[in-house]
Amino acid sequence: MHDFSRRNFLKVAGITGAAAFTGIGCAANGVQGADKAHIVVVGGGSGGATAAKYIKQFSPATRVTLIEPNATYHTCYGSNWVIGGFASMGDIAQGYDTLRDDHGIEIVQDRVTAVDAAARSVRLAGGDSMSYDKLVMSPGIDFRYDAMPGISEADADRIPHAWKAGAQTELLRSQLRDMPNGGVFVMVAPPNPFRCPPGPYERVSLVAHYFKQEKPRSKIIILDPKDAFSKQGLFEEGWAEHYGDMIEWRAGSEGGRAEEIDVDNMTVMADSGFERVRADVLNFIPAQRAGQIAHDVGLTNDAGWVPVDQLTFKSEMDDNIYVLGDASVAGAMPKSGHSANNQGKIVAAAIVRELSGQEPINPSSANTCYSLVTPEYAISVAAVYQYQDGAMSGVDGAGGVSPMGASSSVRRREAGYTRAWYDGITHDIWG
Amino acid sequence: MKKSYLYLAGLVASLAMAGTATQAVADDEITRGQLMASSCKACHNAAGAQQGVTELSHFPAEIIASQMRAFRDGDRAATIMDRHAKGYTDEEIDAMAAYFGRF
Ligand SMILES: Cc1cc2nc3c(=O)[nH]c(=O)nc-3n(C[C@H](O)[C@H](O)[C@H](O)COP(=O)(O)OP(=O)(O)OC[C@H]3O[C@@H](n4cnc5c(N)ncnc54)[C@H](O)[C@@H]3O)c2cc1C
Ligand code: HEC
Repeated sequence: MHDFSRRNFLKVAGITGAAAFTGIGCAANGVQGADKAHIVVVGGGSGGATAAKYIKQFSPATRVTLIEPNATYHTCYGSNWVIGGFASMGDIAQGYDTLRDDHGIEIVQDRVTAVDAAARSVRLAGGDSMSYDKLVMSPGIDFRYDAMPGISEADADRIPHAWKAGAQTELLRSQLRDMPNGGVFVMVAPPNPFRCPPGPYERVSLVAHYFKQEKPRSKIIILDPKDAFSKQGLFEEGWAEHYGDMIEWRAGSEGGRAEEIDVDNMTVMADSGFERVRADVLNFIPAQRAGQIAHDVGLTNDAGWVPVDQLTFKSEMDDNIYVLGDASVAGAMPKSGHSANNQGKIVAAAIVRELSGQEPINPSSANTCYSLVTPEYAISVAAVYQYQDGAMSGVDGAGGVSPMGASSSVRRREAGYTRAWYDGITHDIWG
Repeated sequence: MKKSYLYLAGLVASLAMAGTATQAVADDEITRGQLMASSCKACHNAAGAQQGVTELSHFPAEIIASQMRAFRDGDRAATIMDRHAKGYTDEEIDAMAAYFGRF
């Protein structure tokens, strides 16, 4: 794995660089190895945009190119607020101008179609190729429609997943808006592991919020392959307090496991065919895997995710490719925007240090997932992680969830901090 | 009188220069304190500050360190920081605080 001669050479270069910096009193991190390098980042979402920005912060002279097909990125965080009817698509839109103009990152609006790892170059859908010294990939997720009989990806324009924000978010919102009072909203929740563990349950909370105001006779059914979910006690406490019995959650072992979807009749079959659940609006969130490009490049394991050295997020398959965010296997860290953001910083530091001939830093990291149960009532889960015995593991005694039975003023404070978190993290990533 | 004043001024100046030199060398390498402190910036930055989450980059290191210990040890009530602060040793808190406090 380690090329010691090159490492030693870089170390010498690094010392020379340090001497030069002492002379001119340069304020920022940066060393010659990193200064001459070209880093290409695939994907301008939570992980990729953070990595690009922090490589520039740690080593301003390093050339960084960010490749992302969309001019506007809609965050999944906050997309449930849009679905609940109290935020607009504009509120969750992020762009790349600041990364380009203020941080000196080259933005290429295109899609990577192939990676030639031996030649260290990427090919773009537009036809160009681009060479790199280090490649960072944060392609997010793709779906495993093949895991559910009866439905295919082509059905997503009738039965939205809304698990990538954008047109899908708007589609689900408009279906809910068109649904008559007294209708049934059915969510088919995904199996583990999936992007944003509390996300499905925040979504039904905010659909219930919308129904309570506009369509109070409506009903919500969650068909879940799992027997437990994130922040379950807190969600159920909040549902009982705010929505009475509007929300019905069916556990996997109690008939909740969907087995087939009859798309034309908007019906979900469950419990060995004994249950047929008809929906007016159906939100099918498929099982998930790493973004397609990670598979195409040959970086994934049998389960469909990318194994990495969790000290640096370097791919186990290739010495010059780093994979982070939802696509990666990151130990105890959940697939969240906050995790991806922190991993972007770890990757940025690891790359700059490696190019400078320095050993990786043993990282410490954190996650927080806020969920709104109503627009003014939030709950959270937090954890701190450290690299131990080859994996990112939760630090004992830290983290945990909001207290059960807390007063409405505590929930309201957390709702304020939910919005602060959104503004803070999007500023940290794209601002 | 005047002489010792100049001597002191010289000492201060040379200390300041020594500080700068050490800083330049230290800056050449990303430290663990810096990487850990960068994780706090997800919430603690200019945008978060407009919603009531203090921007730490302009905060005195001693206050960051004392408040982190207070959150960790249950001496200051919090909605989220108690759960975060319990994940750090004294040494880690000081390393992060020192990094923020430089600005
Ligand atoms: C409803 C919902 C609510 C959520 N709420 C929260 C929350 O409150 N807090 C939280 O922390 N997380 C939340 N998340 C999770 C969060 O959105 C993801 O975990 C996070 O965005 C993952 O970041 P990523 O960089 O791995 O992927 P993404 O952010 O999805 O970014 C991937 C990017 O890669 C690009 N891409 C893919 N393939 C290519 C290619 N071949 N070439 C170029 N570009 C490519 C895509 O266009 C995309 O922009 C939520 C998710 C959902 C669905
Ligand atoms: C998920 C968002 C989040 C993260 C990450 C976070 N904080 Fe905080 N911080 C808060 C909030 C919210 C408060 C207000 C107190 C509370 O309710 O928890 C706060 C308060 C503080 C305060 C007190 C500020 C004051 O005005 O007195 C300090 C100091 C602090 N945090 C330090 C840190 C450090 C150091 C880190 C990184 C290890 C960190 N925080 C990570 C959200 C966060």
